[in-house]
Amino acid sequence: MKALATALALAQAMPGDEAGLRMQMDEAERQLRTSPFVVADPALNAYVGGLVCRLAGPDCAAIRVHIVRTPYLNASMAPNGAMIVWSGLFLRTANEAELAAVLGHEIAHYRARHSLRAFRDHRRKADGWALLGLPVGLVAGNLGYSAVQVGLAASLSAYSREMEREADAASIALVRAGGYDPHAAAAIWSGVRAERLAAATARGRKPRGEGGLFASHPPSAEREATLTALAGGERGRDGADIYAAAMAPHWRWLIEDQLRLNDPGGTAWLLDRIEARGGPPDWIAYARGELARGAGRLEDAVSAYRRAAPLPEAERGLALTLPHMGDRAGAQAAIDRYLTARPDAPDAEMLRSMVTP
Amino acid sequence: MPILALLLTGCGDYVLVPPGRAVGVAKAAMTVTPDRAWNRNGGLGPGKRAESWTRDGAMLNDLTFYGGIADGETLFREVDKREAPLPRFAAGMSAPEIAELLERSYRVATGTTLFALDALAPMPLAGQAGFVMRYRYTLPGDDVARRGEARGVVVGGRLYLLTYEAPAIHYFERDLAAFRAVADSARLNT
Repeated sequence: MKALATALALAQAMPGDEAGLRMQMDEAERQLRTSPFVVADPALNAYVGGLVCRLAGPDCAAIRVHIVRTPYLNASMAPNGAMIVWSGLFLRTANEAELAAVLGHEIAHYRARHSLRAFRDHRRKADGWALLGLPVGLVAGNLGYSAVQVGLAASLSAYSREMEREADAASIALVRAGGYDPHAAAAIWSGVRAERLAAATARGRKPRGEGGLFASHPPSAEREATLTALAGGERGRDGADIYAAAMAPHWRWLIEDQLRLNDPGGTAWLLDRIEARGGPPDWIAYARGELARGAGRLEDAVSAYRRAAPLPEAERGLALTLPHMGDRAGAQAAIDRYLTARPDAPDAEMLRSMVTP
Repeated sequence: MPILALLLTGCGDYVLVPPGRAVGVAKAAMTVTPDRAWNRNGGLGPGKRAESWTRDGAMLNDLTFYGGIADGETLFREVDKREAPLPRFAAGMSAPEIAELLERSYRVATGTTLFALDALAPMPLAGQAGFVMRYRYTLPGDDVARRGEARGVVVGGRLYLLTYEAPAIHYFERDLAAFRAVADSARLNT
């Protein structure tokens, strides 16, 4: 996006001009507000915004949350108070305490004016809260292009490792002050590592080492250990019920965005976690059917789809799977059930033609 | 040119494709006869078996030929093969599965979450039982609402696909007939 490119140029040309930076940020945020990628759902915005306010206290009025529909793990904070939360975060925080830990980390960056300090240091590397769930090529490929996706000023200035440690420590304090379990911050990092391992294993690889683009962040294992030590022996509430209730209307699109990423290992791992925290059983079964069909595990796909019945999408899954098993009558029946439930389905004409002899 | 546009359309010198003359496309996998002039991108297409044409410029109206995608191949060149590998075509795929392949390839390659299928129906291509797919999407970064129409067929286990994409406002409807004329003229060189 032009705004970010301009801001990057500005950072090179006028490293001291904070007023100029502020103007660029405000313009980028103005564009972001009208982006179709911004999630407008009032209840979800009220939930995340409310949590930010409870954590940020007097800074609440200065921070504006924008939820962007991007299926990867990230949150970032611009120096003008624009906080960007990617929707993929919601699949990866297990409860309100973990979400609070991520938001608290960003609030801490804002309070310490980290991005301005980094700006003054002429740092121009990419950054966000974590970026660990994000394909490197995607970041590298889109960085100069998509301010909306990458997240305004956070990508303008990399925080130093020291700043990250400061923000981690401050976030523990915020989480604790909110009455949440301070171990939540460390739990996110163990989740990140487990998901990356699951994703890589399914692809027959080892997970990529940490470094490169993410070098400004302390390695996740170190970070997890430090956060655990900072949390100490004390526990607090995890807010799992409140979190599950806030996410309940959104699981479907969150899961669908993840499903279409061609990441069978990471997705299977996430589905297990979502199931464990009360996600919708029919959509989880359907998603497992889709993963199995994609991997050519046809028997597994059929049994998962049958568990998801009578979800119409599961009938569609059966309709696409059974022909590969030679069961045309079964496929016909599934298509009939699907089209009875979804007569206006965009692929209706194609599906009807597939079984007509 | 933005990197994303480069990925999707390639970037190189354009060569005029005059109307009314048969021309081999996508390494001669197909032959088409356009009814009006197009510009062939002489550089890279989005994939090794792909070729891109435009009338007014990349991202304004893009016609892409995918000539004979074989079992196990991707539609596009990999963006991040290690962390975000593209989905692969399989010779036994049905039309709905090919529609899913196209959608997921876009999602993985561009990072978009805004991609929706509008219609999928049978339609012959080059005299074979193929399909037509209509869809809409938005690319992260430019936020422009785009529409697409694709025509495809699987012959001999290989996927032959033509896609036409343009901004929903003005361009898509304006050049749709030009695309359909190209698609209707397609012959496969199998």
